[in-house]
Amino acid sequence: MHYRLDLVLHPAEGALLRVIGMAERRGFAPRAITGAPVAADGGRWHLQLVVDGQRPPETLCRQMEKIYDCVSVQVTALDGVQA
Amino acid sequence: MTAPSPRSTPANGARWLTQALEAEGVRTLFGYPGGTIMPFYDALVDSQLKHVLVRHEQGAALAANGFARASGQVGVCVATSGPGASNLVTGIADAMLDSVPMVCITGQVATPLLGTDAFQELDVFGLTLPIVKHSWLVRSVDDLPRVVGEAFRVAREGRPGPVLIDLPKDVQVADASHLPAHRPAAVPPPAEPAQAALAEAIAVLATAEKPVIYAGGGIALGEAVDELRAFVDASGIPTVMTLRGLGALPAAHRHSLGMLGMHGTRAANMAVQECDVLLVLGARFDDRATGKLVEFAPFARVVHIDADAYEISKLRTADVAVPGDVARAIRALHAAFPSPPPQQAPWRARCAQHRERFAARYDAPGSQVYAPALLKRLSELAPADTVIACDVGQHQMWVAQHCRFNHPRNHLTSGALGTMGFGLPAAMGAQFACPDRTVVLVSGDGSFMMNVQELTTIARCRLPVKIVLLDNSSLGMVRQWQELFFAERYSEIDLSDNPDFVALAKVFGIAATRIDARDDVEGGLAALLAEPGPALLHVAIDARANVWPLVPPNTANSTMLESNPATSRQETPNALPA
Repeated sequence: MHYRLDLVLHPAEGALLRVIGMAERRGFAPRAITGAPVAADGGRWHLQLVVDGQRPPETLCRQMEKIYDCVSVQVTALDGVQA
Repeated sequence: MTAPSPRSTPANGARWLTQALEAEGVRTLFGYPGGTIMPFYDALVDSQLKHVLVRHEQGAALAANGFARASGQVGVCVATSGPGASNLVTGIADAMLDSVPMVCITGQVATPLLGTDAFQELDVFGLTLPIVKHSWLVRSVDDLPRVVGEAFRVAREGRPGPVLIDLPKDVQVADASHLPAHRPAAVPPPAEPAQAALAEAIAVLATAEKPVIYAGGGIALGEAVDELRAFVDASGIPTVMTLRGLGALPAAHRHSLGMLGMHGTRAANMAVQECDVLLVLGARFDDRATGKLVEFAPFARVVHIDADAYEISKLRTADVAVPGDVARAIRALHAAFPSPPPQQAPWRARCAQHRERFAARYDAPGSQVYAPALLKRLSELAPADTVIACDVGQHQMWVAQHCRFNHPRNHLTSGALGTMGFGLPAAMGAQFACPDRTVVLVSGDGSFMMNVQELTTIARCRLPVKIVLLDNSSLGMVRQWQELFFAERYSEIDLSDNPDFVALAKVFGIAATRIDARDDVEGGLAALLAEPGPALLHVAIDARANVWPLVPPNTANSTMLESNPATSRQETPNALPA
């Protein structure tokens, strides 16, 4: 199953590595990543991370929420979408 | 050594950091100096902090780890960059997996040298990303107040854990005279459990006929020991504990069925497999506790209460999820069940019967030292508030099975990471945290050698740690698995060339004796505990002894072996006809 994670991150050193690493360690393979700092949001990163995995995505979301640089995360199932 | 120069440390980043540590309540820290952390060590000369010089950075991390486990306070360790930092890694990982609050400070090459492969440059920030709650590479002295405040707050709040501050040398020596004095950040209280979820949990428990409480390390972390005991006393619900939950109920408590899982008690595992409601309090369905997960507690509706919402439904879907403060949740349950529900009386009686029927026996045949009996006796002879640290392997499971703990913080065991070499430095840290209490290390001959250098630290500081070294001249747990699951094809488990441990301890200036026979146990333990300073009791045990009961890996907890089914050898008295 493919999922898109919509993440908002504090622009802190290591924030990107933390979320990508978390996805991989928890059994989700990163397939695509886009995003950039948003000046209107205080320079926070708005990131879309597409992952592929068989485990419950809600569990990954809750784990992402524990990352201190992660302001918010939302998950959307991408059934049938090839990333 | 000459006396330090009378000059005082300049008001630099390092000096500011030592003062901030003092403001955070740190009194003792463990470390080892080196090139990039030298300004910090210079500042230590003028500080009130007690620095314990270990002999390997892993010893520093594990000592801080043991200090934190025993005290509930943040443990602090320090190392230089490069190999100093990488040597901390195992101790940090151990703290992460067992939710131990630590602040780890590493020196780093000066910021202009970052990314240039400078001498002793190592990306410890990247190296430790998966094993810390959070971490910072401090690139400006102006960031120190924010970083240090956040570091202690993050280490303490919610589910505790380790954090890392990587501190370049130029930041340590930068002028910090303009920085304000450090003020510790407030730690937010755990979230209150939702009333609706609690009501649902109470409703499920009210209909239960065969409930079981499955209590884990979250009981101590959530300061919920008193609440759990009061609730169990009132409700009479049979209770099983994880390795890290042991002591949440005293072992002698009438409703305690002991530890569940791979080396758990028969009474505990049978109760969980038969129960109709499993009330999970601060536990996480670890595979060593559950056995084959799909067959774990097959008839139970699960009510899962945990401060870490992520753990709920991670491995077993909860029928009722109650994220939030475990202590407050238990208080609410207690209010709802002030007395034992009558319909649960037959179940309580059945569990009590199993507790008696399957209690460990100590009348093992033979004259060799029977390790379970020795550990039971150790527990009886030592003061009730003794802290017992252990290493990893067979002796670790025997400690869990046969020592009696009256609080989880009195049992220091590397639960999730299973770190051989944990015990000696952890006991050292615990003795600093609890200077007026007896601290005992139970170790094995494999684990002991992994951080044996810390005997020097114990001797130097005259820490009265008592060491019981169970020596089977092999890697016993690996040997046991090779015997049971690898057709007795023994591979690289022979440690018969161990040093003479008594002579070794004496070289370090530590009193030591050896016992070989069962008749020597009583005198050996009494003499060990009577020693005013550090002491070691070297105990030769049967090299073929195994840990029983055992649930084979990937098997339901209802399958508990008491001996090797492939042989007729009956090793424990529980395997003999009563």
